[in-house]
Amino acid sequence: MAGTLLDIAMMHSDALITRAREGDKNAQGKLVQLWYKRIYNFAYKFFFDHDLAMEVSQKTFISMYRNIEGLQEVTRFRSWLYTIAVNYCREELRKRKASRAVSLHELKPGEGETSYGWEVSGNKQENPERQLRQSELSELLQQCLLELSEEQREVVIMKEYEGLKFREIAEALQISENTVKSRMYYGLDGLKKILERRNITKETIGYEL
Amino acid sequence: MNYKPDEGTLMAYLYGELDAKEAAQVEAYFNQYPEERIRVSQLATVGKLFRLMEDQEVIAPPVFMGDGHVSRFWKSGTFKTILSIAASFLFLLVAARLIGPDITYSGGELRISFNKSQVKESVVQESSPLTSEEVQQMINESLVRNNEIISSEWENNNLALRASLEKNFASNSAKIDELMKVTSQASQDQIRSFVAGLQQENLQLMKDYLKLSTDDQKTYVEALLVDFSKYLQEQRKQDLQLFQTRMSSIEKNTDQFKQETEQILASIISNPESIKKVNNY
Repeated sequence: MAGTLLDIAMMHSDALITRAREGDKNAQGKLVQLWYKRIYNFAYKFFFDHDLAMEVSQKTFISMYRNIEGLQEVTRFRSWLYTIAVNYCREELRKRKASRAVSLHELKPGEGETSYGWEVSGNKQENPERQLRQSELSELLQQCLLELSEEQREVVIMKEYEGLKFREIAEALQISENTVKSRMYYGLDGLKKILERRNITKETIGYEL
Repeated sequence: MNYKPDEGTLMAYLYGELDAKEAAQVEAYFNQYPEERIRVSQLATVGKLFRLMEDQEVIAPPVFMGDGHVSRFWKSGTFKTILSIAASFLFLLVAARLIGPDITYSGGELRISFNKSQVKESVVQESSPLTSEEVQQMINESLVRNNEIISSEWENNNLALRASLEKNFASNSAKIDELMKVTSQASQDQIRSFVAGLQQENLQLMKDYLKLSTDDQKTYVEALLVDFSKYLQEQRKQDLQLFQTRMSSIEKNTDQFKQETEQILASIISNPESIKKVNNY
């Protein structure tokens, strides 16, 4: 995860968080700039939907802005922020279930089909970026991720993409560390089965792992 | 070995969040059950594969939101300004009440004062009306009179000034002449005495200089002679020493030569065969 200047800045933002907690508007704005991409990507991977990810990100930072003064420990800022984000993700998911709105991404492939029906639309040909191998791979993996239960998905995204420690994930989700590890185990196992079912191996995708 | 790590422990091992002791136990377990190692490594491969998924680029909104606090009217600057003006006005009213205001309006004039004013009524004395010609005549008369007075004063002043100037000039020129005479006389005497003094000083200086230089030269020549005689004596002494040394050296050499010659002669005499050999050659 670390490596970019942004990541380094995020890892060393204790002073910024302290100032933001004391009501420094400038520091709060900088925190938004630092963390917005991470929270957006967490939500994006959770929903595979840009609009929902934007919605969750904005709500998360509005909440952060209003409640940061109540943050007890600066070191727990990261897990605290992800707690907010997870709660909004769950809220959005409940709303979608209640309204029975189904995203195209949630559509499962039909019996005997290897890909989604809507994927064969002219979108790929119209958008050159989608023809890029990396982009396609990302999309494919995202679809596999969506097949996991939301509980396992939260944990896998936080661990694999956001680089949180098991302890931090447990804090963010307010569950025990063992439960987090267990969800991670079954999440990876579930992904392995999904990949096998879709015949996706490292040979088929042509990547050195 | 009964140890079997649970899923949580395996995950902690996989992500390097296990302490060394537990990690060693898991490692030992994997050594015993290699198929378990393969199973966990497959999970690790899945994790690596999913890490290939790229992040989406997104730009954080530059302006996030307002501060959420309702701005109270009484905290606004406008309200404070109005309040301060009102307070000032109220203060004036109170002061006026205490001191006693006096507001009058008469003849288009509004007068506000905080003490009983003593208005001086402008007394306009009514005078008999004059015609413009009479006024003009009065002005003219007044001007003529004034001009006469001014011209007579001017003439008087002029005369007085001229007389004063002439008097001053006469007295000043007399004084200057006298001063010039005194100055010229004084300067001739002073120059003479100065030149005489200068000559005397120069003479004295020359005498002193010559005397001093003669004395110095005498002392210097004496010192030089003394030094030279010392030098000669020293040189003579050294020459004598050198001569003596060389003489003694010559004597020593002569003695040595004499001894060697004697030895040779003695050996020749004592060994007559060698003489023969010498003769044969």
